Amino acid sequence: MPQPTPLGFRPGRSIPHRLDPRFKLILLAMVGIATLQADFRGLAALTVLILAALRHTGIPLASMAREMRYFVLLLVLVFIARALSTPGEALLSAAGVSVTREGVLAGGRVCWRPACVAAAAILFVVATRPSELRGAVIWLLAPVPGIPERRAGTMISLLVRFIPMVLDQARETSDAQRARCIECRKNPVARMAVLTIALLRRIFEDADRLVAAMEARCYSEDRTGPAFGATRLDWLVLLGAVLFCAGLFLVP
Amino acid sequence: MNQNPTTLQLHQTVYASLFAALIAAGAFLAIPIGPVPIVLQNMFVLLAGLLLGPRWGIAGVGIYLLAGTIGLPVFAGGTGGIGRLLGPTGGYLIAYLPAVWAVGLVSRRTGGRLIGDIAAMVLGTLIVYGLGVPYLKAVTGMPWAKAAAVGMLPFLIGDALKIAAAVPIARTLRPVMAGRTAALQAREYSRG
Repeated sequence: MPQPTPLGFRPGRSIPHRLDPRFKLILLAMVGIATLQADFRGLAALTVLILAALRHTGIPLASMAREMRYFVLLLVLVFIARALSTPGEALLSAAGVSVTREGVLAGGRVCWRPACVAAAAILFVVATRPSELRGAVIWLLAPVPGIPERRAGTMISLLVRFIPMVLDQARETSDAQRARCIECRKNPVARMAVLTIALLRRIFEDADRLVAAMEARCYSEDRTGPAFGATRLDWLVLLGAVLFCAGLFLVP
Repeated sequence: MNQNPTTLQLHQTVYASLFAALIAAGAFLAIPIGPVPIVLQNMFVLLAGLLLGPRWGIAGVGIYLLAGTIGLPVFAGGTGGIGRLLGPTGGYLIAYLPAVWAVGLVSRRTGGRLIGDIAAMVLGTLIVYGLGVPYLKAVTGMPWAKAAAVGMLPFLIGDALKIAAAVPIARTLRPVMAGRTAALQAREYSRG
């Protein structure tokens, strides 16, 4: 039985769910840019806001943390490398290696920024239907020459739909292979090949079923998308976000 | 632009999106080998070139980069945003585009032979590091030796393993995909 993954849309009526997807896309871009400049106070404020919004949408934070474990491991490694390699005032010394104050601060800053962006992006994906995402992407790409915005919009909405499916299938395939003692095989190449072949076969079959369903519904790139309309809530949230980001730039 | 894609185009569009999703999910899929997990992300970039060819391979990787650029959580570790492309690892991400094109082109030109597939993936990997390491050096101001030591050398063994694994994967799945494509072409031909 597939377990729900936090990397896909979850229906709801929370404020992030009710916002206009175009505004959500703009807010997401603003978070990405603002975190480039933000320092600890700003990042702390942003983290509180994002965590509150995630909780409001009903995402189980524990399962989200479990899904992100490799990312967290990477951040921990980056933090340790920074803490040990940055010269400065030693906080702790052992066996000729020092953890410096400057290193801890630099490592904290470098790791906290992508963590905020990742959490904001998960919030966006969880609170936005793929069809709304498609419409927002088409709206965003329409002025850009050289990109077929309708096809790109469809492909991005498919991408968002496929990620949880791939993760579910990978989990199931991995569990099935573990039950057949795959871990007894020490050859990493064989393990990668066995897992990937089984995974790709299964998800290609799912993709074929999706194509058949799209054809059966007379799929056309010219279909009518969802109608967007900005409400007072959208403008209020955007205004709040602009002020917050301006604050991050002026008082980092 | 054709507003009603043919079945074959629709299949290729869905497969390209599927590979974009695999590249994104690949950051979360790892084979634990001893204490170090081997993350499958760049193996899916190579496989996109081998299985989709240069044109649709570029489409898949392009959609992955576009989704990440607008802020969706598809880059390594579930991050996104223009900041990642402008950051130290942005060169590796941008290099996926020429790499997947080169892998697809070389593989097609050599008729999908074993040695051609291996050469294609080695070339693709060289392109990723050829763009990624200078970009890392430019953004961080590291000397060449340190940029190579941090941004290339620790990953070479893992890359060699991924190329070794991608060969049997491509050789197993290519006939499956070719069979599907041939069936679709025959169906479209019979429809007139």
